[in-house]
Amino acid sequence: MSLTKFIISTIVSIVFVDGFAIAQDKEPEVKTWEKTEYGVTFSLRQIPPDVVNAFYNGRGFAINQIEPYAQTCVYTVVLRNDSAPGRIHFLRNDWRVTSNNESNQIRTNSSWLKQFKQTNTKPSALIAFRLAQIPEEQEYEPSGDWNQGMLSTNLAIGSQFDITINWDVDNEFSIKEVKCI
Amino acid sequence: MHLVSSQFKVLASIVVVLFSITNTYAVEQPPLTHGLTKLTIPEIAPSLRLQDMDEEYLDINSLKGKVVVVNFWATWCPPCRREMSSLERLYLATKDNNVEVLAVNVGEDIDSVFSFINSIEPSPNFTILFDTDSSVMDKWKVFGLPTTYVVNPEGYIIYRAVGGREFDHPDILEKVISLTNKDKT
Repeated sequence: MSLTKFIISTIVSIVFVDGFAIAQDKEPEVKTWEKTEYGVTFSLRQIPPDVVNAFYNGRGFAINQIEPYAQTCVYTVVLRNDSAPGRIHFLRNDWRVTSNNESNQIRTNSSWLKQFKQTNTKPSALIAFRLAQIPEEQEYEPSGDWNQGMLSTNLAIGSQFDITINWDVDNEFSIKEVKCI
Repeated sequence: MHLVSSQFKVLASIVVVLFSITNTYAVEQPPLTHGLTKLTIPEIAPSLRLQDMDEEYLDINSLKGKVVVVNFWATWCPPCRREMSSLERLYLATKDNNVEVLAVNVGEDIDSVFSFINSIEPSPNFTILFDTDSSVMDKWKVFGLPTTYVVNPEGYIIYRAVGGREFDHPDILEKVISLTNKDKT
């Protein structure tokens, strides 16, 4: 069998196996945590480190430049104002990740960017990184405003954590016992 | 033989990672919404002068007298990709009503955008501009992609939408077209 035929065969196999796995819901290792309260929906879905690496490699990062970020339990986050009584405003800096009784803020984009600049990362890659994160500050109107972005918990692979997000005053909720595999 | 084996491992890894990326962004995508928020106090649109696909400069000031839909996006942003076809349908539905659509790509080059737009259906006919250093995006106070503004013929931002939208939804079409009729009512 030629190399090309073998690769095509592999692609078809992967598509089939993956499609079957989705249909049978046999992918417990990648789970979505989602919560809706006060008219606001928040969800988390882990992005495996190799996928994080590949995504940013395609944006101009070298693997060794992005690897430290990829290894920090990175999630796709969706936050949406479906039907809150009005505009919601948040500062990501107010959110907390709690693991092993230790509570921490989300690491800032500027802190990551400072680290990447020390490894001479391309300016276009830095722009992509900043914009691919869930915003550090944002306002969502109840007309269905939302964002989808990445969020690093800055935890080691294998961690379990609670995440608490909040917006404006006295509005917050937590998703507990999120596992990073 | 060893060389072929190494080549295979590298190619197979790429295939697996590429498929993982596709799968990650294909599963459980949140719905695109169809609301536009009317600004309580309309704001004058910040300056915007950028190069298009032909490397010609376009200044938003030259579009005074038209309704302008300004969409900030990137090819790697899943909701941006998903809403792009509906943005084209909005353009086709409104272009004869004095409406312009400007899709401002942030941080990428022409080659990346060109290969993307050739992959979507219908293929965009609206103007694509390049904010390569993200400075225009910052002036427009865009904190996340996609973000879209609707500017009235006098140059004021009237509507804003954060996150992916179905731009050809009747709710959005009606609001955009109503701005073109303002002087006539």
